[in-house]
Amino acid sequence: MSARATRPGDPEVSVVAPLYNESQNVQPLVAWILEALAGYPAHFEIILVDDGSRDDTWAQVSAAAADPRVRGLRLGRNVGQTAAMMAGFDHARGRSVVSLDGDLQNDPRDIPALLAKLDEGYDLVCGWRQQRQDKLLLRKVPSWVANRIIRRLTGVPITDNGCSLKAYRRELLDRISLYAEQHRFIPALSASVGARITEMPVRHHARRFGESKYGISRTVKVLVDLFTLKMITTFRSRPLLGFGVAALPPIATAALFCVLWAIAATQFGPAKADALVFPGVALLSAGVAFYLLMLGLVAEVALSSERESANEIPTAWEIR
Amino acid sequence: MGTPVLMEPIITPSERPGPAAVRLVSVVVPVVERADDLEALYRTFAAELEARGVAYEFLFVLDGGFPPPPELTSLARQPQVRVLRFARTFGETAALRLGIERSSGDVILTLPAYFQVNPEGVGPLLTALENGSDMAVASRSPRVDSWLNRIQTAVFHRMIAGVTDQRFHDIACGVRAMRRPVAEALPLYGDLHRFIPALAAREGYLVDEVPVAQHPQDAGTRVYGPGVYLRRLLDVAAFFFLAKFTEKPLRFFGLVGSVCFLAGAVAGLVLLVDRLSGTGIANRPMLLLAVLLVALGVQLMGLGLVGEIIVHLRAPHRRAYRVREQV
Repeated sequence: MSARATRPGDPEVSVVAPLYNESQNVQPLVAWILEALAGYPAHFEIILVDDGSRDDTWAQVSAAAADPRVRGLRLGRNVGQTAAMMAGFDHARGRSVVSLDGDLQNDPRDIPALLAKLDEGYDLVCGWRQQRQDKLLLRKVPSWVANRIIRRLTGVPITDNGCSLKAYRRELLDRISLYAEQHRFIPALSASVGARITEMPVRHHARRFGESKYGISRTVKVLVDLFTLKMITTFRSRPLLGFGVAALPPIATAALFCVLWAIAATQFGPAKADALVFPGVALLSAGVAFYLLMLGLVAEVALSSERESANEIPTAWEIR
Repeated sequence: MGTPVLMEPIITPSERPGPAAVRLVSVVVPVVERADDLEALYRTFAAELEARGVAYEFLFVLDGGFPPPPELTSLARQPQVRVLRFARTFGETAALRLGIERSSGDVILTLPAYFQVNPEGVGPLLTALENGSDMAVASRSPRVDSWLNRIQTAVFHRMIAGVTDQRFHDIACGVRAMRRPVAEALPLYGDLHRFIPALAAREGYLVDEVPVAQHPQDAGTRVYGPGVYLRRLLDVAAFFFLAKFTEKPLRFFGLVGSVCFLAGAVAGLVLLVDRLSGTGIANRPMLLLAVLLVALGVQLMGLGLVGEIIVHLRAPHRRAYRVREQV
């Protein structure tokens, strides 16, 4: 998405909330956000994104949109939280954007503090849920493990990657494109384009209405996605290097078995049947290494036409 | 991104066309494998559209391999008819694509080159569009096929139902009406025309099924060669992959690859234990299998990663959502 010029009269702040089957939560959420931002000096808007809900969420959103500060988007089908957030971001007009969950678990009263932090010169301020009100075994423990691994692998020191309550500068959102289920990796993706990131404690509440849409099975998926993301962000500009590194172990194996083969052949004579294992493994390993290098070349070719895309341009932030 | 990418199932967001009166209907008829008297087809459906009082144009797209029927020259002289012919065989999907590209109506009606539904069925389809659907597909009912064809249909739909949210009852019916932006957003390549309703629903468009009377001539038994069934199966597989994994190819390749890799590793461990306990392993076919599986696993995961990199770099240009309504 190209950067949109902000027009005079556009709100300063956009609050984006994706909703999926949250019919009962819509009105309280809007009322709560309006109340929390009542004393906020700048002009703001609330963008409610109905992600193909099957209940009457959209009717509730339409009713809420009677307030001129509230806008509603209805997506054609259920596309998941990441794409729903992207829809909100694409339609947000504010120079600062805040995202939060539509299930009332985030507290809108934290928004002014997040925005103040953003103005200190950050591009992304992540919420860090204090006294998380979720089930221990099913939600908190997997989340704690996943967050540790994410921190370790990406090197971004954010404690709570899963918290939806975040504040972004427009310039950052214009640079990152989220797809699949990447909303959990916003800090890591932002760091990969050079964003200045911080976190601050936010409140967290237990769910009042509706049901949680997540189960424990997603932890494995998160880890696979994380591995993928790590590979991509490290090697997206030089895939041949990545595949070259991956080809090293098979090359080493091939070399080792060549040596063993030579030793076996000289010590026991070439007729020794047992020695057949050595050339076999050596050749196959060499084949794998060769294949990986070729694949790296294919990746280079495939990417040559995509190179001009926005996230390949080194980021330079404007000093404010 | 200069030229539009053919293999893009997900396109940049645009608003839904929305309900409006139908101004001009472009009837696109791909003439590919089977055709009745085209002139009779034209007359019947033109009369129906005439009776409804909508303006229309007909585009017949002949595949290169299809022998030109005798009525072609007189057909081409009819008012509101254009006949296009491919230089060689490109297939039905390509014919539909060309027809959509060359047509100028705000509504596209695709029609098979044979009598599949009664002409009166066209009216309800257009009405559905005027009432706000983005696409209306005919569903032949009551269906008067032979039991053999009905089993084929049931199996085909069962396979597709595993992929789409929306259930369709007659996805293979060639009679579909759609708004122009919808037609242009469809990823039409390969043999994907069979999945047009599912593709549109996947793009976030509102697709309605309209029950339409089946034409008596369509009711006979059709038996196909094994090659045709094999191709159908591959079509479903391609569609399945497209629908599930275009955003995350590594989920697919990684799964298959890691299964291969693990199987190979386990086999290797078994062999290692055997070797340490003194049994020779060099002549065992299992050794080859183990090494081969490990190699295959690595290769598949590598392929998945290349796919991921491509998807990642394309991400700025595409969106998975389509906005249906805004308030």
